Amino acid sequence: MIPWIFLALAVSPVFSAVDKTHGVPPDLLPKYTPLTSGASPTWKCLDGSKEIKWSAVNDDYCDCADGSDEPGTGACPDTRFYCKNEGHIGAFIPSSRVNDGLCETSCCDGSDEKPGVCPNKCKEIGDAYKAKMVAEQKLRKTGSKIRSSYITFAHKEKTRLEAEIAAAALDIAIKQEEVDHLKDLVERTESLSTAALEQKKQSPLYQTLLKHHHALESLQREYKKHLEREKTLGDILDTLRTGYNPNYQDMAVLNAVRGWEYIAGLPHINDVGKDQEEEEDNLEELGSDDVEGGEAVENEEGLWTAEELDRDLPGLLASNYESLLLEHEKHVGAPTTESLLFDLSAYIPDALLPQYESFRDNLVSWLRTLGVIKGSSDGDAAGRVLSRTCKHVVLMFIFAVVLDASRSRQALDEAERNLATATKEKSKSEESLSRLFNPEWFGREGEFKKLDNTCLEKNMGDYTYEVCLFGEAKQKPNNGGSHFSLGRFAHWNNVDGIDVGSPEYYSKMFYTRGTRCWNGPDRTVVLVWTCGTENALISVQELEKCEYQFTGTSPALCLPPDVEGGKRDEL
Amino acid sequence: MRAVSSLLLLVALPAVLAVKTEDFKTCSQQAFCRRGRALSERAEKDPLWKSPYSVVASSVVIDSDHASFAAAVKSSLYPEIKFGLDVKVHEDGVVRVKMDEVDGLRKRYDEAASWALVKEPKINPNIKWTVGKQDIRASVGGADDVEIVVAFEPLKVTLFRNGKEQVVLNGLGLLHMEHFRTKDAPKEPEVGEDGTQVVLETPNPRAWFEGDEEDGYWEETWRSWTDSKPKGPESLSLDISFPNHGHVYGIPQHATRLSLPTTAGENSYYDEPYRLWNSDVFEYLADSTMSLYGSIPVLYAHNAESTVGIFNAISSDTYIDVAHPDTKSSFTHWVSESGILDVFILPGPTPADIFKQFGNLVGNPALPAHWSLGYHQCRWNYVSSEDVRSVQKRFDEEDIPVDVFWLDIEYAEDHKYFIWDKKTFPDPVEMTNDVSANARKMVVIVDPHLKRVTSYPVYKEAVELDVLSKTKDNNEYEGWCWSGSSAWVDFFNPKSWDWWKGLFKTTQSKNGKYAWTDSTSDVHIWNDMNEPSIFNGPEISMPRDNIHYGGWEHRDVHNINGMLFSNQTWQALKARTDPPQRPFVLTRSFYAGSQRFGAMWTGDNLGTWEHMAVGIKMVLANNLAGFSFSGSDVGGFFGNPDPEMLARWYQAGIFSPFFRAHAHIDTKRREPYLLDEPYKSIVKDAIRLRYNMLPVWYTAFREASTTGLPVIRPHFVVFPQDESAFAIDDQFFIGSSGLLVKPVTEKGATKASVYLPGNQPWYDYFTHRIHAGASKGRTVDVVAELHQIPLFIRGGSIIATKERPRRSSPLMKFDPYTLRVALDQDQSAQGELYVDDGVTFSHEKGQFVWRSLKAQKQGETIKLSSHDLASTNLAVAVDGAALTKYNPSNNFAKTIESVRIEEIVILGLASKPSRVIAGKEQLEWDFYPGVAASAKEDGAPSQLFIKNPVSSISQDWEISIDL
Repeated sequence: MIPWIFLALAVSPVFSAVDKTHGVPPDLLPKYTPLTSGASPTWKCLDGSKEIKWSAVNDDYCDCADGSDEPGTGACPDTRFYCKNEGHIGAFIPSSRVNDGLCETSCCDGSDEKPGVCPNKCKEIGDAYKAKMVAEQKLRKTGSKIRSSYITFAHKEKTRLEAEIAAAALDIAIKQEEVDHLKDLVERTESLSTAALEQKKQSPLYQTLLKHHHALESLQREYKKHLEREKTLGDILDTLRTGYNPNYQDMAVLNAVRGWEYIAGLPHINDVGKDQEEEEDNLEELGSDDVEGGEAVENEEGLWTAEELDRDLPGLLASNYESLLLEHEKHVGAPTTESLLFDLSAYIPDALLPQYESFRDNLVSWLRTLGVIKGSSDGDAAGRVLSRTCKHVVLMFIFAVVLDASRSRQALDEAERNLATATKEKSKSEESLSRLFNPEWFGREGEFKKLDNTCLEKNMGDYTYEVCLFGEAKQKPNNGGSHFSLGRFAHWNNVDGIDVGSPEYYSKMFYTRGTRCWNGPDRTVVLVWTCGTENALISVQELEKCEYQFTGTSPALCLPPDVEGGKRDEL
Repeated sequence: MRAVSSLLLLVALPAVLAVKTEDFKTCSQQAFCRRGRALSERAEKDPLWKSPYSVVASSVVIDSDHASFAAAVKSSLYPEIKFGLDVKVHEDGVVRVKMDEVDGLRKRYDEAASWALVKEPKINPNIKWTVGKQDIRASVGGADDVEIVVAFEPLKVTLFRNGKEQVVLNGLGLLHMEHFRTKDAPKEPEVGEDGTQVVLETPNPRAWFEGDEEDGYWEETWRSWTDSKPKGPESLSLDISFPNHGHVYGIPQHATRLSLPTTAGENSYYDEPYRLWNSDVFEYLADSTMSLYGSIPVLYAHNAESTVGIFNAISSDTYIDVAHPDTKSSFTHWVSESGILDVFILPGPTPADIFKQFGNLVGNPALPAHWSLGYHQCRWNYVSSEDVRSVQKRFDEEDIPVDVFWLDIEYAEDHKYFIWDKKTFPDPVEMTNDVSANARKMVVIVDPHLKRVTSYPVYKEAVELDVLSKTKDNNEYEGWCWSGSSAWVDFFNPKSWDWWKGLFKTTQSKNGKYAWTDSTSDVHIWNDMNEPSIFNGPEISMPRDNIHYGGWEHRDVHNINGMLFSNQTWQALKARTDPPQRPFVLTRSFYAGSQRFGAMWTGDNLGTWEHMAVGIKMVLANNLAGFSFSGSDVGGFFGNPDPEMLARWYQAGIFSPFFRAHAHIDTKRREPYLLDEPYKSIVKDAIRLRYNMLPVWYTAFREASTTGLPVIRPHFVVFPQDESAFAIDDQFFIGSSGLLVKPVTEKGATKASVYLPGNQPWYDYFTHRIHAGASKGRTVDVVAELHQIPLFIRGGSIIATKERPRRSSPLMKFDPYTLRVALDQDQSAQGELYVDDGVTFSHEKGQFVWRSLKAQKQGETIKLSSHDLASTNLAVAVDGAALTKYNPSNNFAKTIESVRIEEIVILGLASKPSRVIAGKEQLEWDFYPGVAASAKEDGAPSQLFIKNPVSSISQDWEISIDL
């Protein structure tokens, strides 16, 4: 394995220095000639720092600060050694591997070691390399065919999306028109009711109602937040309970698990095994007690249950308070103060006045005709009379106007919603279109569009791992239990020094912000993939806690053989 | 989600708060320690205190060998109880004092020494005991007048040197050996006058000594565990004082300073005594007397005139109080739960003598495999064979040397050690071969807990062989560990030994027993959790009333338990190949003697600056206690060190005899190649420096293996008269090389203050700058930017290094040496170089090269030379195998015949040489003028570089430098 024995046999005196150009790459060969000829020729270090004897080049002693005097011995640290590898491809190895007794694969001619240590394997290694290259080319050829079908797909998608966007634009125009129309109508009707309403809204009852509404809404928001948090906490604790390592023997963890089991009424999961069954019984008893106790509280009179809250609160909060305000007035009867009646015209909003006045005039003349009231041309007097006798009628009129405005508003709201939906759908299509050939999304050629939401799976024994490309990565226990999000697509390999859209850029896909680990980071995934004829996951490793590395293949990464790899090796 | 994350933070908090002290007992929570400390308090308060123990003068019998005597001892408290005293003087002057109860109800545990001692010590045939009226005494020998005196009444053992008390046993009268007794029937309560029940007490005549109540004599309950204590009280209390020594060192393992801070007396630094009870302490404190993973009950006392010590061969739970009544004296009080009194007094008088004497008792450290001094890369866990391969690839891409890749517990399916998890490690042998293709090794963990499933062959065979630990009721003991429900092999049972050896064979044996055919001889072993760590046991360990082989209770043998495990693993690896290869076994738990079986590390430290700093002190303490091959996890096991801390930790770690980086499963990966610049280069340079200096380390290990001298040494060992440095423990010396290092362990440091002892000049290792010496030593401030390590060569030293970076240490075998000759004021210097094949035991048969390196001024010429050391030091060349002859051109020497010295750098020459010749050959050289070693001034020294001066390291050579 380590050919020391050969080396020991092949020991040659120290100063039998190797050839002066040993380990020198072709482009530097001209520099490895003595500066002067004669009995003691000299040579200058490549950085010009020092002039040394020509005999000191490759004499296995480092003279030059830049290490250039020892290209072939490894005497100068951190330099490079060039293996010619005739019959194969020339290569550099670090100086640390020169004369270390090991035969380097990348130095197939064996020139990195003393003669006789490493056989020349360039034929063998070269052949293997060629065969590998051929296989790779073949794979890429097949893969790139599939890839070009992906590109075709992307172009079809482009056409489809463009058509969708155009159609949506038309639709939006129509919907916009409808909205404009309704808006106009609402404005006109509302101008009648707004002022009256504003006046009524000053009512303390209404104001308090609004306050209650806001309070309730806030409560609901907080309640939902807490429910969500409780769920998250529950998930965390469930994971803790099923996944914690009882071996840690951390009493805090154990207490957390037991506490959670108690609260959630869960059976006791097997941990330290001591008196386990007994404890389980106890816990079950305690657990059921707890549940009964809880129900007793919920049954208190008049209070809503959690289900009722869930079911009925949104409806309650969606009540139309303005209508309610008006209905409330209807319900408690007309106001009784005279002043209101005298100031009826003042009471009626300005915008409504002309209508009211014409209505009043018609009504008065009609009443006069009927002899209900005595003839008088005094408007105020007539008003007073009217107020006294027909206040209900007037109020009913006002209701009618207001309710009409309310209905128009509803129609407008709906139209606006439709418009918004259409606009949103359009912009979604536009976004899809913009991502289609975006190098930060589906690639300059759109080659990854086909993979959008393609889900790949890998069964690793305890878990099946899944990644829906450009969507979410998941861990799914094979023996049941909840799935964990390992993160959503965030970006490609966007580190410094890697060009956006380069093959290296697409070699890694990052999924971040998965479910947070207990006592750890958010789960994340790096998908490292290469050209292959199938979209597949090959391996899954959790290299650090909750940080997963998936490897996989996809034809989308198979560039046509004549494109990338530019520097095709001349074989 | 903010609320959720802050909640998570809360959950994570206990981890931040570190150790759970409540998981471990304090002195006051254990009856035997309470009794011991109360005894000491009563003695302190009583000016008339006198030990009740006395030697029955008439019973003294001097053995026919003259070196030992036996006598009866009795206690005035219990005249009917018989004790026996046995005192022996060894060949090297060590005095062994043994006392046991005679004809007691039961037998005290008396086998601790038999596990610790490397062999039965030879007694000194020239000793003459003189029996007087009040004492018996003998001259121990040595240059000084050293005398051992055993006073009869009260019993007191004193070692004198030139009439000065060195070591005194029972000088303060705290000796107490609780005899075996039967449990008294509870006294019948009687009805008192007022109708309440009272126990009528008769006055206790022993109360002045033992206290009034029988405190926890029998069953004891702590938290949820009850210790049945069927043998009742059997503790041993003993005071050991050093009336003329102001510093005490030793009794590892504790995270504390090297010169032990006080635990008793006025204004004591700690309240709790030092404890020895091997424990798996989660996130231990960086400054505490709590017991940790291992115990070596050896204590040294030092002053400018002498160094003395004691080895208290006890393996039960032991608490040690340390006090300095004044700055010139030390007092210690040892309280142990069980066991006989078996104390070895080491007379010194030099530090080197002490280490030799202790080495003679418990054995010198094994000479490690050379590769194991390289860099070890560990993590919990490299998750798959692909992972291992890719870590190796990254090291090679960055050209960072590494010798060993480690696998923690996750390689094993369900933590059934030996059984690979084939889902992640489908090809363990191929993986190992890929690693060894670069001349590297693997270390794989094997813990002592066996998963209790019969499908696990190791457990099944252990059951069949009946070698598992037993409960007090003699049933198989079941506890909880990584593998869930587990059992523990009782390595005290000799039946387990051959079986354990068989497990490590890499080929299937004929007897059909399990053999690890999925491994190769390049796989070495890590023994963790061998305290033993048991998650649901009292103090995370085994119940004290568990029964081991021979009927001994676990309480008796606990501190030895871990050593037997790594011992057997070491034997197993040695037996794995024929001829045997040097095994590498890392153990967490240890006892005196463990140094014969591999390396240890300081366990699960934290990634903090405090732990980095205390780790150095702990490793130093271990070196003093004979266990040189030790280190702390670089980077800290827990936590994510920032790049600066990691860089500094590597710079410190390379100066640790055992150099391993390790990390907890919850931490971010932190392999050196993952660092950004400049940290990556700083760490790479540090690791490469370790490799450059491997010849120094290996030479120091040879010395340790034959002389017991520590591989790294604190000041008092190297400069025993320099009182100002007796407490210095943040800088240290590497072997006898003359290298002094002060690792930087402070955040943001840009300079370091270094104490330079002695009047010889000190040279900066990197810049060669001279710091002139001063007769009383001096403190210098040196720059210590992040890329700089304060490392100095003492004038008068020659350092041999290999300066070519390689991927792993075996690949450096044929690389040339560089010598740094740091001249002293007299223009002379010396050093040593030891080389062997690094892997076999052929060095024990004389297959090695051991050479002196010397620079000496002769007139106007400085002669540099090298000659063989083995021929003239046959008896001490190799540990445990006195050579009768040595051939300087042995077969090994021939294999390195071509290994030359490529450069010699001479620092501090007084003037420019006129010529430099080897024999008649003129050598090439360059001279840069500068300060001379004799100049007594600071500055850049003169430097002479000689090119390619020596063509073969293994042969004699001489170079003349004519001034």
